[in-house]
Amino acid sequence: MKRMYKCQLLLIALAAVQMSSCTKTDYVPNPNAPTQESVLRNATRQQISQLGVGVQSVIRDGVFSFRTWSGSIGREVVYFAQTESRYYRELQGEIPLDAAGIMYGWYSNFNQTRRRAEIMLQSAANTAALSDAEKAAAKGFGKTVQAYVMLNALNMMGSNGIRTSFTDLSSEGDLLKPGCFKNYTESLTYLKGLVEDGLADLAQAGTTEFPFAMVDGWGDLASIEGFKKFNRAVAARIALYQQDWNSLETALNQSFMDLDGDLNEGPSFLYSNVLGDETNPIWRSFDNNSTPILVQADFVPEAEAGDKRVFGVSMAEGGMSRIRQRTTPTAPPDYPVMTHEVQMFPTNTAPVKFLRNEELILMYAEAKLQKDELAAAVTALDYIRTQNGLAALATAKPGVIGNKNALIDELLHQRRYSLFMEGHRWFDMRRYNKLNTLPLDKPTHSVFEKFHIPRAEADWDIVNPCQ
Amino acid sequence: MRKFFGTWLPVLLGLVMPMLVAAQQTVKGRITDPAGNPLPGATIQVRGTQQSTQSDEKGNFSISVPAGSNRLEVSFVGFQTQVVPIRTGELLIQLKEDDSNLNEVVVTGLASTIKKSNAANSVARISAKELTGSTRPPTLDGAISGKIPGAQITANSGAPGGGVSIRLRGVSTVAGSSQPLFVIDGVIVNNEQFATGTGTRAFTGATSLDAGTQDQAPNRIADINPADIESVEVLKGPSASAIYGSRAGAGVIVITTKRGKTGKARITLNQDAGFTKASKFLGSSNWSREKIETYGGAYNISEEEALDLFEAANGRTWDYEKMIWGHTGKINNTGLNISGGNDRTRYYIAGAYQRETGIQKRTGYTRKSFRMNLDHKLNDRIDFKVSSNFINSYASRGFTGNDNRGVSLTYHLPYIPNFLNIARRPDGSYPQVPGRAQNPMEIVDRAENIEKTNRFLNSGEMNVKLFTRGKSTLKLGLRGGVDYLVSEPTVYLPEDLQLMEEVALKGSIRLTTNKSRYTYMQAGLNFNTTVANNLELTSALVFLRDDQRTDQSYIQGEGLLPAQRNPSIAQRVTSGNIINRSSVVAFDASQELNWDDKVIGRVGVRADKSTLSGLNFDKYYYYPRAAVAINVANFGFWNTDLISQVKPRAAYGEASGFPSFDAVYSNLLGVNYGGELGSISPILLGLSALDPERAQEIEFGLDLGFLQNRVTLEATWYSKKVKDFLYPYTLAPGTGVSSIKLFPVGDLVNRGIEIGLNAQIIKRVNLEWSSSLQFWNNRTEVTRLNIPPSYVANSGFGTYGRKRIALGTSPTAWWGVDTAGNTINYKDYQPDFQLSWNNNIRFAKNFDFNMLWHTSQGGYNASLTRLLKDEGGTTKDWSTIGKSGDPVGIERQGSEITNFVFDASYIRLRELGLYYTVPAKLLETGFGKVVQSVRLGFSAQNLVTITDYYGYDPEVSNFNTGNAGGALTGGVDLAPFPLAKRYFFHLNIGL
Repeated sequence: MKRMYKCQLLLIALAAVQMSSCTKTDYVPNPNAPTQESVLRNATRQQISQLGVGVQSVIRDGVFSFRTWSGSIGREVVYFAQTESRYYRELQGEIPLDAAGIMYGWYSNFNQTRRRAEIMLQSAANTAALSDAEKAAAKGFGKTVQAYVMLNALNMMGSNGIRTSFTDLSSEGDLLKPGCFKNYTESLTYLKGLVEDGLADLAQAGTTEFPFAMVDGWGDLASIEGFKKFNRAVAARIALYQQDWNSLETALNQSFMDLDGDLNEGPSFLYSNVLGDETNPIWRSFDNNSTPILVQADFVPEAEAGDKRVFGVSMAEGGMSRIRQRTTPTAPPDYPVMTHEVQMFPTNTAPVKFLRNEELILMYAEAKLQKDELAAAVTALDYIRTQNGLAALATAKPGVIGNKNALIDELLHQRRYSLFMEGHRWFDMRRYNKLNTLPLDKPTHSVFEKFHIPRAEADWDIVNPCQ
Repeated sequence: MRKFFGTWLPVLLGLVMPMLVAAQQTVKGRITDPAGNPLPGATIQVRGTQQSTQSDEKGNFSISVPAGSNRLEVSFVGFQTQVVPIRTGELLIQLKEDDSNLNEVVVTGLASTIKKSNAANSVARISAKELTGSTRPPTLDGAISGKIPGAQITANSGAPGGGVSIRLRGVSTVAGSSQPLFVIDGVIVNNEQFATGTGTRAFTGATSLDAGTQDQAPNRIADINPADIESVEVLKGPSASAIYGSRAGAGVIVITTKRGKTGKARITLNQDAGFTKASKFLGSSNWSREKIETYGGAYNISEEEALDLFEAANGRTWDYEKMIWGHTGKINNTGLNISGGNDRTRYYIAGAYQRETGIQKRTGYTRKSFRMNLDHKLNDRIDFKVSSNFINSYASRGFTGNDNRGVSLTYHLPYIPNFLNIARRPDGSYPQVPGRAQNPMEIVDRAENIEKTNRFLNSGEMNVKLFTRGKSTLKLGLRGGVDYLVSEPTVYLPEDLQLMEEVALKGSIRLTTNKSRYTYMQAGLNFNTTVANNLELTSALVFLRDDQRTDQSYIQGEGLLPAQRNPSIAQRVTSGNIINRSSVVAFDASQELNWDDKVIGRVGVRADKSTLSGLNFDKYYYYPRAAVAINVANFGFWNTDLISQVKPRAAYGEASGFPSFDAVYSNLLGVNYGGELGSISPILLGLSALDPERAQEIEFGLDLGFLQNRVTLEATWYSKKVKDFLYPYTLAPGTGVSSIKLFPVGDLVNRGIEIGLNAQIIKRVNLEWSSSLQFWNNRTEVTRLNIPPSYVANSGFGTYGRKRIALGTSPTAWWGVDTAGNTINYKDYQPDFQLSWNNNIRFAKNFDFNMLWHTSQGGYNASLTRLLKDEGGTTKDWSTIGKSGDPVGIERQGSEITNFVFDASYIRLRELGLYYTVPAKLLETGFGKVVQSVRLGFSAQNLVTITDYYGYDPEVSNFNTGNAGGALTGGVDLAPFPLAKRYFFHLNIGL
């Protein structure tokens, strides 16, 4: 009897343990951050606003690697990182590009921005907190951003192309099944579709305002009406690579191009020292030794005398020169000594312009040239020349006037100096089949035509063939 | 059928009800050693019951014996266990000294142990003598190196304060930490590697923002004073570690601290004095005009300038390694402990002060530790134990390892040609080193990387005999503990360092506070009975809960005023905070059986639920286990004296793990852009309901003992399968998501052999030699994979060798490119085998000599250390002409993997010790009876390393193993802190 009593006591004790708070566990909500699920459905107005600011901040992601890597392959610069020789050995073609290596930051960044823009515009579409016009505004903004960043990605990939379908957040699991890589032409068609859809959405938005703050970097382009002009500038770039000269001219005319305006007009990426923000990744101190961005040895000698983009006070010191002479010339082993370094920003919080009037005018000149309207092209080129301290072509190079091929060379020359380190030179030389004219610093060097499809993408396609 | 009723029915009945037994008798006796000296503290147990007692100061005991019992078992550490028949009158029991370790007890359950001679698992047990008896590695991780068969142990850095990666039986997890679970006195304790921020952008720049992966921080187990440890048991795989369920996928290390012994108070004073010196330098090549011309200058120095500087040096050269690591560090360890007690209360109180200065100026490690362990027997039914430990430690580790900034010394010296004088000038300034942003000597003198830790470890245990009836006992065991620690790393670079000239925000300081609180509670019922006279049955039911919470925060300031060390008023202030918390609730039921030490078996199952599984937080996961061992030599038919033990054994168990806390969340990240608050969607997605990865292990073994166990052989084969191992599921980057943080992607299998041979080779009065030889190996293979082959993050650097998960290959193999640029699998990080050889020789009565050799053969490391020197032109053999006609220093910069992945085999004399025990008679004449014992000795750690390996130490790992990429990060040799040798003089006085 007594034993039974004890057994019962034990059972009760066990039951008590089982039911007591000791055995209770609760779901642990993430103590460190809010989750993505909280915005995809029924986001608040404030959450959409924050996603919009977030997208604006990530457009700048990848700007350093995009400009520096393409600038290295296009022989504008040599990135002489003291602690990582791959940056100059790989990019100058001394050793093969590693498809699984460290050169693909821009690829991930641009694709991530595309997805983040998608999440923003879908979150906007899936909430009752916004008006239809505001939803359209968010969508138009997102698509324009996608077209802008993915054009950069496409140019780096060259004929390897990009994935033109990547996610459909509305159907579960689709994330795991991205579409195939499309070739360069097809990819451009995709981008054109994006930017035109974006324009249509912005038109639908009418006179409303974006459902998020547009940061100062947009300047006059911050309104819906202004942003349409940015959309057209992006459309112009796409048309340029499509060699659709009529569309190019039309788009430029609807953009913020000003044929006799400030060359530096245009939107910019912002930087600051504030927590949660970033600093200007291209900025370097003078005579930096650890990660200097050196100017390729032929850049200065091949410039015209008096060119303010090359000679005189650097942009970092308030002048116009994109470069500055180092007190200590330097170079990786066996390279020609490089006397200059890139100096385009006064501080590490200086904004980075990412689509300038100067580029629009140069695209205009190219459209006119290709349409054999040479006089208009010369006028535009002369404006670029005179603004940068050079004499008009009639005085400086009278021989080229009236000669289309010579004028194309002149155009490429102006693009080389005006758009230095803005991510153009390599692609310019490629589209005019002139990669073989780029200088090699060592006989073992070579010029890549494009980046490989990243190893992770190739691996993915082996296991999950795309449809 | 009759047999069933006769033998088995009582067994079954015994399981469910205690036996009813009547009269008892009292037995008295005395225990002595072979010389007739009394042995206080010996355990006397009535065979087949839980009735036990301990001998008192004079070796006397008295115990009540239930009727039907006829044998007593007497055991004492260091002596052979004896079973004696009960007779009337006083029993005189003389124990024989034990040369084998078969009577040691090993863990089999959350609250149960077993004699090693009955164990069905291969459990490595390291006694205090093996741990610290020979020499005194400053931290526990150093003290177990080479002593655990089945383990691969590598140092993360030679810097003072430890930091080690321990892998038991191969690869247990791919994405998470491979570090085993640490349990001290029954309570789970913290062994994390906390981030210090040393590797982040504001300091060495080895990584961009995320602190942790390349900080080279120590593991927290380094806090524990090795001298306090009585034993370390290693549950190597799930077949033994299944008792710790969802926390035990990577094995468990069970540490037991020293406790007081019955007898008069003993005071022991330990004093070690020693010094430490760099084990090896790599050297630097001399330069000549021809070499400068071949090189085209020197690194980042033009040919013209290099020639000028070379001429200016006029033949003088400087040995930078010697200037920085040529110092002799001093070691001072002082320990005082008092222990003793009576049959009711026992105590062990120990204080220790350890101080070691490093081979580099301003580096070192200091630890103060205080421990009090109390055991009290309230009455015959209730006893309890309390263990309490406070630790305060300080480590200054300097800057080494990966770097992108000019801070890491080991990274930058390779680029400085030896004709430059970089020494501090008499006026206190540092010469600008041509081609470099920073003079390393200034980093040595002025940069700081320190960590202060305060830690409380408290645990308690109470055992209550609920009732005893004859040969049946029901016990309640309660156990609980808290491990609370705060570690405070500080990393500081002054604003006027040379490298700051190029930096916008000059000077940086980061103050981190890592707080961790682990709590543990356990309640168990244990029912023990004996049926049919010699079949002992133990049933146990345990409930437990453990909660872990870590809170890591930092504040970092960049842009400092001269001498400013307050980050909060810097030009740019960043801060961060990460909280991890998890709870595990588990129930465990087990049944053990012992048939007269002939057949020993156990089965059990543990059910765990864990908050780490996200939305599955309330789901129980079940971990079964079973084991059997047969002591063939204990059967009646066995009658050869030659072979004293034959024990075939088999064990199976399952355990699991969750690689990380964060894996179930998809975090929205905050940004601050253009003065506006923004949020961006994650590129890493979490799987909101995550099942743990599961390790299943089967182990077979055979233990043999010869000549009364003077020679023992233990052989074990195991196969450990990690099923549905979790790994980042890399998505096509074109989707804009880099990966799903953790996803069950496949299976991998580890197979290995462990053989131990222990022998008392010579046993004479004036000469005793015992020796133990341990051999082990492990091979791992990915047997199922549903993702594309994938490089493992933080497992190496690009084509310089890294690891890859690919079907049918070893996950620890190196991958790189061959001469044609094809990706190839080249060699394995896991060694072909390891072998350790430990010797204890006692000669001329009072001298003890210990020697531990350890070798690892056939393992390969990916070394960038030589590449740095080849790039800088400072490798000793740089100018030797290679096959292509160019200097080898140039040839070896080619991208093929053979230039970076080398054989890291070595033979190391880990420990060497020689001790002299002053004869008791001499002491008596000298000090009367005041001084009981005096022992003097010399010892050394890492005295000899025989290897062809290029680098400071073949045991390296640049990446943290506690977080980062975890298990597969080992073997990356990137400019580590040079290994140090330690030499000691020991004095041990017993009062």
